[in-house]
Amino acid sequence: MSKLAITFADELRSRSDQDLAALFKYRPDLVTPVPNDFTSLAARATSTPSLVRALDSLNQWHYQIIEAACVLPEPFKKSELLSITSEESAFALDYLWQMGLLYKEGNNYRTPINLKLLIGDEPVGLGPESAGKVNLNILKDVPKPSMEVLSKLIWGPPRGQISNIKKLGTAIGWLLDNNVLIALDSNTVALPREYAINLRGNKVHKELYIKPNLLSGKKLTQKQIDLAAVANISTILRWCEEFLHNLSDETPTALRTGGIGVRDMKRIAEHLGVEESCAGFIAELCYLSGLVVIDPDDQVLPTSAFDIWLSKPQEERWYSLVVLWLDTSRVSGLIGRTSDKNIAPLGPELDRAGASLIKRTTLKILLENPQTTPELESISEIVKWWNPQRFNAEFVEWNLREAEWLGITGQGAISEFGKNLLTAQDDLGIEKALPKPVDHILIQADNSAVAPGPLTPELSAEMGTIADIESRGGATVYRFSEASIRRGLDHGKTGDQIKTFLTKISKTPMPQPLAYLIADVAKRHGRLRIGSTQTYIRCEDEGLIQQIMHDKKCEHLRLRRIAPQVLVADFELDEIIGELREFGYLPAAENSSGVLLSQPNLRRAKSRPKPPRIVSEFLAPKENIIYSAVKTIRAGERSRKVEPIVPGTSSNETLALLNQFIETQQTLVISYADNNGGVSNRIIEPISISLGSLTARDETTGEITQFRIPRINGVAPTVTISENKADLDL
Amino acid sequence: MSDGPLIVQSDKTLLLDIDHVLSDECRRAIASFAELEKSPEHIHTYRLTPLGLWNSRAAGHDAEQVIDVLLKYSRYAVPHSLLVDIAETMSRYGRLRLEAHPVHGLILVSNDPAVLKEVTRGKKVAPMLGSQLDDETIVVHPGQRGFLKQALLKLGWPAEDFAGYVDGEHHEISLKQDGWQIRKYQELAAEGFWHGGSGVVVLPCGAGKTIVGVAAMAHAKATTLILVTNTVAARQWREELIKRTDLNPDDIGEYSGAKKEIRPVTIATYQVMTTRKKGVYAHLDLFDAIDWGLIIYDEVHLLPAPIFRFTADIQSRRRLGLTATLVREDGMEGEVFSLIGPKRFDVPWKEIEAQGYIAPADCVEVRITLTDAERLNYATAEQEDRYRFCATSQTKKDVAIALAKQHANDQVLVIGQYLEQLDQLSVDLGVPVIKGETPIKERERLFAMFRSGEIKCLVVSKVANFSIDLPEATIAIQVSGTFGSRQEEAQRLGRILRPKADGRGARFYSLVARDTIDQDFAQNRQRFLAEQGYAYRIIDADEILNKN
Repeated sequence: MSKLAITFADELRSRSDQDLAALFKYRPDLVTPVPNDFTSLAARATSTPSLVRALDSLNQWHYQIIEAACVLPEPFKKSELLSITSEESAFALDYLWQMGLLYKEGNNYRTPINLKLLIGDEPVGLGPESAGKVNLNILKDVPKPSMEVLSKLIWGPPRGQISNIKKLGTAIGWLLDNNVLIALDSNTVALPREYAINLRGNKVHKELYIKPNLLSGKKLTQKQIDLAAVANISTILRWCEEFLHNLSDETPTALRTGGIGVRDMKRIAEHLGVEESCAGFIAELCYLSGLVVIDPDDQVLPTSAFDIWLSKPQEERWYSLVVLWLDTSRVSGLIGRTSDKNIAPLGPELDRAGASLIKRTTLKILLENPQTTPELESISEIVKWWNPQRFNAEFVEWNLREAEWLGITGQGAISEFGKNLLTAQDDLGIEKALPKPVDHILIQADNSAVAPGPLTPELSAEMGTIADIESRGGATVYRFSEASIRRGLDHGKTGDQIKTFLTKISKTPMPQPLAYLIADVAKRHGRLRIGSTQTYIRCEDEGLIQQIMHDKKCEHLRLRRIAPQVLVADFELDEIIGELREFGYLPAAENSSGVLLSQPNLRRAKSRPKPPRIVSEFLAPKENIIYSAVKTIRAGERSRKVEPIVPGTSSNETLALLNQFIETQQTLVISYADNNGGVSNRIIEPISISLGSLTARDETTGEITQFRIPRINGVAPTVTISENKADLDL
Repeated sequence: MSDGPLIVQSDKTLLLDIDHVLSDECRRAIASFAELEKSPEHIHTYRLTPLGLWNSRAAGHDAEQVIDVLLKYSRYAVPHSLLVDIAETMSRYGRLRLEAHPVHGLILVSNDPAVLKEVTRGKKVAPMLGSQLDDETIVVHPGQRGFLKQALLKLGWPAEDFAGYVDGEHHEISLKQDGWQIRKYQELAAEGFWHGGSGVVVLPCGAGKTIVGVAAMAHAKATTLILVTNTVAARQWREELIKRTDLNPDDIGEYSGAKKEIRPVTIATYQVMTTRKKGVYAHLDLFDAIDWGLIIYDEVHLLPAPIFRFTADIQSRRRLGLTATLVREDGMEGEVFSLIGPKRFDVPWKEIEAQGYIAPADCVEVRITLTDAERLNYATAEQEDRYRFCATSQTKKDVAIALAKQHANDQVLVIGQYLEQLDQLSVDLGVPVIKGETPIKERERLFAMFRSGEIKCLVVSKVANFSIDLPEATIAIQVSGTFGSRQEEAQRLGRILRPKADGRGARFYSLVARDTIDQDFAQNRQRFLAEQGYAYRIIDADEILNKN
């Protein structure tokens, strides 16, 4: 190359302001925070996270073009790219260039550094570039058996396994001899990229997905859809309200890992009459909107925001839930799946990258196809076309399910309200469509009351204190019972107030049995009075009680008379006795069964006995315990010492070394990756190898353990045990 | 949004606003698939249950009709998931069919091989089935027809029974309508049953269920076995049959503890059928004694469990169940559905009352304050004796007597549970008592005297709960009951609901000891009455005692 290649930074520097604006529009992460100069912008734009983000946002067609660009030797001409893809690519090139996924060098294009790494070593199943000279003409002369071999490699994977490079059949032999195949190692051959492209008919992809498929589904009328959506909206609002009320009634304790436990979710689901997956969704929805929180003492409780939320109009309530759902990366569909048992709502494990992207795409497709209930498979395919990198079939299914629960869709098709939401209209039209709140109830003779529609918040709160809810839906059925009336009285209402309230809001006359019930409970309410006090004074002579009550000297004792013969005081027994004696009375203390306590002279502690724990002498531990303790410490020490010295070994070396150690029955150190990916050194005595596993005794634990050979990163001999024996002389 | 009379709740209850102009039309439309749960004065509650939906399928309705009705009358938007659920549930009925095959006998058929596969894998079902003929047909072991239906219902795949019925031995029976006329709804009920083949007719107490049975017999014109609750009821059936049909008294047999007659029309009691000798049901042969063309189960909600088992064996005979309520305290509604048959006809209590066929009733709960001594005794009584104690208190007796005296000119029934208390009342009131040990002859004599007005007041134990026709009783005073049984409450109320010659209303007093377990039970029973739409009030016993 005569000229020094232009750098990506230089190219960015030369872009117009407009183009840069477009770049930032498509890749907002490049400007948060704003880079200092073009060099740092280029560095950020070619960083793996930023490139991954950019690639994720490509649709399948654009992604295919980028794949094709990564196949070509750089710099490449526009025409080269068009010829291995299709003419339509021309329209997309500008966009990809603006995105900074291609950059120009004169009239040619290059891909920014790192992009090829992300696309992979074998883009579109193409093998490595040919090392030697490429002679495409030879492909015309490929014998038939060899062609059969080639046909298996053309569309990838481009590598094939052979038994031994030294004993080749004629078919593969011919290909290797003519450099149509190249040997990667003694067992692997590969088809070089240039030949494969030629054999693919000078294209890269078998099929180009230039446009998404059309959505197929059931057609519905907008009225049907909106009716169903209205039902969904009022249902979800009710569910959330009910869920939060339920939390305050039966507050669950959060799991140690955070989140609501399975048992609590089961109970909540049962209470709401929904499936557990739906209950999990409701919990997450409320969590997103800050309506529920896990308190520092692990209690899952509704927040004060819930009370504010309740006072808002229904449309606002709905909007505040849905708008956060659109953006969240938390995937509530994961809750309670059999494969991930421990994913709990409100827990830390729900975030999934790309969830929001898939959601937006799903909704966009619904929005573009009004009055259609999509078939899951069809919409999944289209979502996949839009976000091939982030596509997850389950997410699509869950998005559709949740959109239906939320009423964004009705019977699966986008509702008027969903449309208004996604197109950011001021008036979503929900308030008009939802049933008007009613301000009356109908009381019936069986001590039930029906609110034939959603009650106004004040009435519903008031009714909630004096009646139990029996059934919900369009209407609410309340039931009055002794317990519910008592609850009302406990809230400070009088029987008459309850009666007046009900008479006022009921359209039907108050039935006699209910009036009787209220009067009856009110009459009995508070007949038993309970309070707390420290000391009592009782005397069968009411006159004496009277005398104490009126004794000026006793005033500071603040005695209260709760019955003709009983006084109570908030002072200690000893104090009262002492004082009364001083004033010339003759009190005596009694115990709980009324027996006189004589012996006031001997003072005794009032606390119950609380002996300290006995700490005995240590017994000498047994010999085997000492031995194993030393062994554990020694093994730990050795593995710590040898930690840095275990050299990485290739798998072949590992196997060879292990076999050798097994033969010589030597102790060795391996560097081993555990289930969580953490690597640690283990001192082991190898026993045997079978089925890809090494059976060995782990010196640290003293147990026979299986080690998976692929997870052994390195093997090294260890110092012999005899060397350390001297240390054992305790 | 329509302004319909119906509100669909998320717990699958339907609230019907009966003050709405369309309420009548809507009620008729939903009655076919939803069970009426309660009918107080303003809002009636119906419930959608799988059994109800299947009953509706059995009556020839499909899911689309049901959904249309809900959408048409619903005031608010109906959750889509509920509609899907209804369609799904209803589509389960009839996917399996029991048919008669000329070669293989009884077969289980389905157009949906997957369903067939699913049920054959069921542990309970598999042993009842024979070889599979093809993807859609499996032979059923003869004699398993009933058990199979029962098991399939439990799996949620109720089978439709097309295997047909035997005609039974012919016996000429026709109605003899001289001086009386069969009522329209009775005729409809009998026809509904006959077209369905087998099933249950639900009519309130006092609405003339016996006549429906008789009309069904006239349709069948075949030998008939009638199963009733007790001997007195058996005798009343006999009288009705003689009065309403052209049957010869010699053709009617009684099969009870006292007599063992087998005639073309045989009336047997549940008790004798379930009597065991050395662990074996001694009278099972009755089911095979004659080639019965029709079997009638009176008070089907009381059918004892063993009878279900016998019934499973006789699925090829036409079966008619008669009852006032499908509510069973033991929850065996599913057995009634699968073994006797689906509900073929019902009319709400209030509707028949409105037509004047049963007397309107006024329910009064009398709250009695126990004396301090009684309260103390109650508080210290053993848990299991408490109900008995408060139900039989002296104060209660005094109030009962005072009430009976106030109604000295009416026909009064004093109903109770505890014999000692009843004996005491009988002595104090100076009226006869009827209880379990009273000989049948004596019972009949006393009932006859009561009917004719010779006796104004009777004290009766729970033997009189069912099937005893006392048309002129206008006042019932209940002093104690079987705890909180709703079904007993319905029956007792039923005693006084027969239309009165002078069109008077009936009154049902229930004496309840305040602040005791009695009051808790009363609440349960009386809520039931209020739910049925009866005017219902509570008064203090003092009001009654002061009047005297």
